[in-house]
Amino acid sequence: MVHGKKIDFGAYGYLLPVVFIILCFQVIPIFYSLAISFYEWDLMSDPNWVGAENFRRLADDPMFYKSLVNTLYYAIFSVPLSILSALCVAMLLNNPIAGMGIYRTIYFLPVITSLNAVSIVWNFIYHPEYGLLNKVLAIFHIAPRLWLQDPLCIMPFLAGLAGVGWPDWLPAGPSMAMLSIIVMSVWKGLGYNVIIFLAGLQNIPKHLYEAATIDGASRWQQFRHITWPLLSPTTFFVFTMSCIGSFQVFSQIYMMTPRGGPMKSTMVIVFYLYQKAFVKFEFGYALAIAFVLFVMVFAMTLFNKLYLEKKVHYS
Amino acid sequence: MNLRNHPEALFLAAVLAAWLLIVGLILHDDAGKRDAALAGVEAGNRTRIVFWHAMGGPLGVVMDDLIGRFNKQQDRYFVKSVGMGSYDTLDKKILASIVAHSAPDISQNYETLTKKLIKARKIVCLDDLLASETEDIKADIIPVLLRNNTFDGRLWSFPFNKSVPVLYYNKDLLREAGLDPAAPPTTLDELASISRHLTRFFADGKGSTGRPVIGFGTGKGNIWMFLCRVLQYGGTIVDEVEKKAFFADPPAQKALAVILDMVKEGIAVEGQGFDHQNDFKAQRVAMIENSIVSKVFMEAGIKFDFGVAPLPGAATHAVILSGTNINIFDNGDPDKIQGAWEFVKWFTSTEIGAEWSVRTTYLPVRRSSLNSEYVREAMKRDPNIAPPYVQLDYSYFEPRLTCWFEIRDLMADTLEEASIEKGPPEKYLVPMNEAIERILRHATD
Repeated sequence: MVHGKKIDFGAYGYLLPVVFIILCFQVIPIFYSLAISFYEWDLMSDPNWVGAENFRRLADDPMFYKSLVNTLYYAIFSVPLSILSALCVAMLLNNPIAGMGIYRTIYFLPVITSLNAVSIVWNFIYHPEYGLLNKVLAIFHIAPRLWLQDPLCIMPFLAGLAGVGWPDWLPAGPSMAMLSIIVMSVWKGLGYNVIIFLAGLQNIPKHLYEAATIDGASRWQQFRHITWPLLSPTTFFVFTMSCIGSFQVFSQIYMMTPRGGPMKSTMVIVFYLYQKAFVKFEFGYALAIAFVLFVMVFAMTLFNKLYLEKKVHYS
Repeated sequence: MNLRNHPEALFLAAVLAAWLLIVGLILHDDAGKRDAALAGVEAGNRTRIVFWHAMGGPLGVVMDDLIGRFNKQQDRYFVKSVGMGSYDTLDKKILASIVAHSAPDISQNYETLTKKLIKARKIVCLDDLLASETEDIKADIIPVLLRNNTFDGRLWSFPFNKSVPVLYYNKDLLREAGLDPAAPPTTLDELASISRHLTRFFADGKGSTGRPVIGFGTGKGNIWMFLCRVLQYGGTIVDEVEKKAFFADPPAQKALAVILDMVKEGIAVEGQGFDHQNDFKAQRVAMIENSIVSKVFMEAGIKFDFGVAPLPGAATHAVILSGTNINIFDNGDPDKIQGAWEFVKWFTSTEIGAEWSVRTTYLPVRRSSLNSEYVREAMKRDPNIAPPYVQLDYSYFEPRLTCWFEIRDLMADTLEEASIEKGPPEKYLVPMNEAIERILRHATD
């Protein structure tokens, strides 16, 4: 920007539109939201200063903790599932077979489809009586399930199938309703992660595989010692973005379980924030939740950057 | 400065020009959309009254038809109807419009929002408008609707689309099961015994339907019906002054137990959303409870002889009103306020109110509409439209506390839990009552 003592105003000029947009739509709202989180405000009346009261309330709010646990369940189940499924599909799509373009397009189609439309379609798939899933299960004489209405948690359910009990003091895992939404979300986001992984796979030099083949390495050994390490920057990127996305999950929850699911088992943190802001009009409290969410996502990303990134092979 | 010698500056100028062009196009597009939204019948020089509502489907068609008639006969005002989809969206848009100082002139609202609008001084007190009228309109409003819209002794909103729950029953199935189709259940005990009879009669697909029929269907954890039953068993909902709730009392426990017991016995089913309505249309259940407005949505798909009856009672008969009222916003333009009032008066007048009621099944606002020849003739043609009118004598409304939706949310969770687990009512209602009293104690109004 500075050549000797001369300031290049042109460079600042280039930056101006973007800086203006980021300031207006990101920086100022972030600080404004933080300020409002110290007020009681219903939009109509003047904001009323309450200090840290909203944060104190949050610390005693059982629904906030429930939404936090549900969000963690969503993240813990959806992120690894997304990465694994996308990696598998990307490796399949990385082979030179006929019609590959069509396959890639098919996998990417859900990504470009509106999440609301996808949620409506999956609502039909999960419908207890008319849904496709229960119809398919019926062919195999499996009893229909209330996919989106069942508060039964997955761990006691699996333990029950195995004929054993699940201790109350152990985490019960996500509900059947949450798991159904996780499956739909993984399917919806699959194509995006596949494209990222495909790009990563195509960046791995072919001669490494050729050399490994000559040395007698098996497919698994090639994956373990070539693909996985050289794909780690891509995996790190997908992991970080998936983690952030999973903490911000909202639309599919709102569309498929509009009240937060059976016994609030799909009430995630952003949905709780939305309810507080736009259903109960407690904007100060909602923005306190938003700020806590921001700190959590920021801390998680920082942890990823400082700790996990050390394990990434960039060359 | 020669721009050819400064390619960077040239590029910067081009970027800025492109940016300004985009902003200009967006502004132009916004203006176009705004004009398109306000287009329709030519408003001419008339004052435009913007009406935000959430009336969709066949109800919206009736409303737009009536608004069109108002516009045709008006030379001073023009009402522009703007549908907002759902009540939920409407609520949010109202709030956003107030912050942006672009509120509509009229809108449908629930009582809790009306209270907030009164506090924020955003709406007009209708008593001030009624004062200049020669006709005593207030005396003609049906008493429960008048009370529902009166806050601290003053009328701040006007009843608009109020409905009550009713019992729908399949006359063909009752007839086939040897029951009198002209004698639907009038009490909850009768509802259980008739449901039992019907379920047993159609068990294993013995009847004409070729498949089992369950006697009674309702919504899972339906708060509206639960509150109606609390009143029917002689209970009280909350004491707004003493900040007390009465859900741990026997009437509320009976209200919850009666349906859970029927479900446990297999003579009733609880469905999600509109499932029980679809089950009724498909003859999978013989009777359902639902809003009278569902009749408008259901009847085209019903292929059997069905009846509508007042909701069965218990110790007494009681129903709770549902639906919204109209607010007139104080946007600082007396002409618009007068235009909005002219429209509200016209829409709820004796003749138009009667027509609105008959065509939509919503309750008429005025006694003169209820007693009009138009309504009497309609009842002769279709006896199924009469039950809501009969229930006006024992209609109540839910508490109008600003924290009421928070309480409703809590009740929905509890009733859902009870519906899933089907344990003893006190297990759910005692803690729910304590939680509601905690909310009431912290609520300001």
